[in-house]
Amino acid sequence: MLKHEVVVVGAGLAGQRAALAAREAGRDVAIVSKLHPLRSHSGAAQGGINAALGAEDSVDTHIYDTVKGSDYLGDQDAIEFFCREAGPTVVEMEHFGTVFSRSPDGSLARRAFGGAGFPRTIYAADRTGLALLQGLWERLGIEQFTLYNEWDLMRLVVRDGRVQGLVVFDRIHGIFEEIAAKSVVLATGPAGRIYGRTTNAHTCTGDGIAVAYDAGAFVKDMEFVQFHPTALLESSILITEGARGEGGILKNATGERFMTRYAPHVLELASRDVVSRAIVTEVAEGRGFSGPYGGYVHLELMHLGREKIESRLQEICDFSRHFAGIDPVREPIPVYPAQHYMMGGIGTNIRGATNLAGVFAAGEAACVSIHGANRLGGNSLLETLVFGQQAGKAAAEYAAGAPATQLRAADLEAVETPLRAWSSRPDGEDPARLRTEMQQTMERYAGIYRNEADLFEGLKRIRALRARFERIRVVDASKVYNLNLTDAVEVGHMLELAEIIFVGAYARTESRGAHARTDFPKRDDAKWMRHTMAEKGPEGPRLSYTPVAFTRWEPKERVY
Amino acid sequence: MPADAISAKFDVRRWDAVAGGAPRYQRYELELAPHTPILSALLRIRDEVDPSLTLRYSCRSAICGSCAMQINSKSRLACETQVGPEMDRHGRIVVEPMRNQPVLRDLVVDQSPFWTQYDRIEPHLKLDPAHPMPEGRPTSMTPEQVERFKETPRCIACAACYSACPAVEADAAFPGPMALAKLYRFVVDPRDHATQDRLVRIQPNGLWLCLRCHLCTEACPKDVRPSERIRDLKEMAIAVQGGTERGSRHAIGFKENIEDRGLLSEAKLVRQTYGAAGMIGQLPQGLRIWRKKPEVLHKPRRIEGADELDRIYEALDRESEGAP
Ligand SMILES: Cc1cc2nc3c(=O)[nH]c(=O)nc-3n(C[C@H](O)[C@H](O)[C@H](O)COP(=O)(O)OP(=O)(O)OC[C@H]3O[C@@H](n4cnc5c(N)ncnc54)[C@H](O)[C@@H]3O)c2cc1C
Ligand code: SF4
Ligand code: SF4
Ligand code: FES
Repeated sequence: MLKHEVVVVGAGLAGQRAALAAREAGRDVAIVSKLHPLRSHSGAAQGGINAALGAEDSVDTHIYDTVKGSDYLGDQDAIEFFCREAGPTVVEMEHFGTVFSRSPDGSLARRAFGGAGFPRTIYAADRTGLALLQGLWERLGIEQFTLYNEWDLMRLVVRDGRVQGLVVFDRIHGIFEEIAAKSVVLATGPAGRIYGRTTNAHTCTGDGIAVAYDAGAFVKDMEFVQFHPTALLESSILITEGARGEGGILKNATGERFMTRYAPHVLELASRDVVSRAIVTEVAEGRGFSGPYGGYVHLELMHLGREKIESRLQEICDFSRHFAGIDPVREPIPVYPAQHYMMGGIGTNIRGATNLAGVFAAGEAACVSIHGANRLGGNSLLETLVFGQQAGKAAAEYAAGAPATQLRAADLEAVETPLRAWSSRPDGEDPARLRTEMQQTMERYAGIYRNEADLFEGLKRIRALRARFERIRVVDASKVYNLNLTDAVEVGHMLELAEIIFVGAYARTESRGAHARTDFPKRDDAKWMRHTMAEKGPEGPRLSYTPVAFTRWEPKERVY
Repeated sequence: MPADAISAKFDVRRWDAVAGGAPRYQRYELELAPHTPILSALLRIRDEVDPSLTLRYSCRSAICGSCAMQINSKSRLACETQVGPEMDRHGRIVVEPMRNQPVLRDLVVDQSPFWTQYDRIEPHLKLDPAHPMPEGRPTSMTPEQVERFKETPRCIACAACYSACPAVEADAAFPGPMALAKLYRFVVDPRDHATQDRLVRIQPNGLWLCLRCHLCTEACPKDVRPSERIRDLKEMAIAVQGGTERGSRHAIGFKENIEDRGLLSEAKLVRQTYGAAGMIGQLPQGLRIWRKKPEVLHKPRRIEGADELDRIYEALDRESEGAP
């Protein structure tokens, strides 16, 4: 049996930073990742990472912007810590080797991002995530650690009140393995694929959140799902705010610049949720375009001229040409909002600790919470690094004091036996089919606008899909890289999270940040300024609530 | 179904290292809009026709580097290559796994040779204790200094270049275009203090094996231009070691290079649980036999007279850039 002191699951920015921290603390570290670390979805982030490094900016303003952006659901103690760590974190990444864009005086270049008081976002051209991922991976390469590449987390073994290890699946060889671990850091990233339209990669299936939930962890604030207003139709590849920042305009099928009705002053530059809701309303009320991939609106850049489009918006140009066959110099880009970020995740404290002894979490899979009801652009890359480091340190400390672990052959069998049954059924449910139906259900019933009847209906449908999942069938019999099997496992995870989203959204009878209830359009601080905590029960998620931590900032109405 | 749909024919190479047997080409036909990325088509095949079709993919936006494969005999990203133009040009779309890496199943290859070469160039900043990083603030670096990295920070480690490279095919000790482009990135980094050492050490480790065919640059989806950076490295290496290219060549030679292969495993900093060697031990006979099949071995060896050609190119390059 394999054995390590600290096992980090996931090798995006959060997982790598955790692994580095645990190594720096002198522990024996292993990383388990279903993708090679450099293929993690962190690499897709384009915009940048926030740190108040400018002379005119301050940590306090960054804190204030984050608190306000969170619609007062962010924990202010965590946000204060987070923003104070921002500067040192970015500087450290620079010292590790990240190649950032620079100003003529040799300092780090900064750009303005939505919801920020000052240009506070440090970037590396239009590939900040990739630059950070390379810089961190190359720094981590100096350390000794074991990489279990293309291995999937299947189960956490929690016994006698603490973690004992994990059961994993080696994709390449098609075998299950047990890894004894004194502490585990879950950094498995986003869960966007629960939705049909998402800017997230295909592999963002929320595995770590579901596995932690199964093991008894609290999952927090899952009903807060951020949508990005402008994703390419069909593929939902992100078209960044930059397109609108440079003067791109949105038009409906009647040729009307409809933002004049929703945000007459800032128009297309209104906040993400305002623009997303406007587009959804236009399409729902019949003023959108329609086609084989559903309703949409037009994002027009043509009036900016070839030169500006190709120089300032090169990435957007490439995306439109390569992935939609559209040339933005000559034609409008078809766009529609798509799921973009999960504010919720495995509930942790500032040190990344969960309610399960020895289990830590960080990154998009975790919820500290600094994003509250709505994340600000540029804050999530920072979160992966700041709290990745905290979780890695805390996991190392825990491992140093933990007694020997106990894994049993039965732990592995408990995972393997039912999965083998999936492959031996003569007939049953197809994972791809269940996934499609789940994604349609989320789009239709847990999208940008929500109401009681929809949420009730959606929950019913997800439960029906979960019942059908009991009869899931894997037809591919190969031992090598069996995607049919991993697809099935991922669909199971996503269905579990979908149920938590519905239950939390149904219960939360207010509108706050990304959670917009048409039947409860106002924020209700008296009743709902608290975190949703979901725990696995025999009948589905059991909800409880915890208070939001306040320090210096009194809740105000969130207007921009 | 979009109005402009075309009938796309895919011939996908299927093989499984455990099941063994002879590889076969399977035909799939789909009605698709011409701009459909080949990745989307393959995923539709997986979802609707054949869930056993196996490939790597993740981001579907040409940033994670997962989906490189041979498409009509060229190393391409499946997510960035559209169905229409391929059908127009070839009448069908032949999809095969990348080359120069053992096939595991269908389009999935064992990338450990590629990752090993990347590790081998020691891809991390090496500092001079006399010049530590500035405390509490970033290093100063001007936009001009950032320019010197050229396009190398864009590399997504997709290995399309590695798959296309005849020098890798001829000599597995050759680091390959990606690793050398990565080396260049560290050599020009103003924060790195091992420039000389890196340039001296890469010479017996394969720098001169590059055939200057530019196939890597042609294959690269991110315009990293590895062959141009390899040319830069050669120039810098000569400048550092002095003498002529001919001199460095004679002093170093291929023999040492082959002897140096022993360094491979030792230099691996990241221990992959199953590296290239472990992998072969793990998988049954099939893989081993398959790897020895003549089709894999009929690779063009470095051709006679290539040295002479190289020198001519080298001189031309220097002339056109006004380099000393
Ligand atoms: C298109 C896009 C653009 C963005 N732009 C920005 C931006 O400009 N600024 C910003 O701050 N944020 C941005 N974000 C958000 C930000 O990129 C993510 O929140 C962040 O990168 C998540 O990092 P992570 O380390 O938590 O997860 P990831 O980087 O996704 O890593 C997850 C890791 O977990 C592994 N894993 C997953 N499941 C398993 C399993 N079952 N077993 C083993 N391993 C597993 C994966 O292999 C991977 O290594 C963007 C997001 C998207 C989608
Ligand atoms: S130019 Fe050199 S590195 Fe590039 S493909 Fe040809 S031989 Fe390989
Ligand atoms: S150099 Fe280009 S082709 Fe080679 S790995 Fe990097 S991105 Fe891929
Ligand atoms: S799927 Fe990521 S590069 Fe193609």
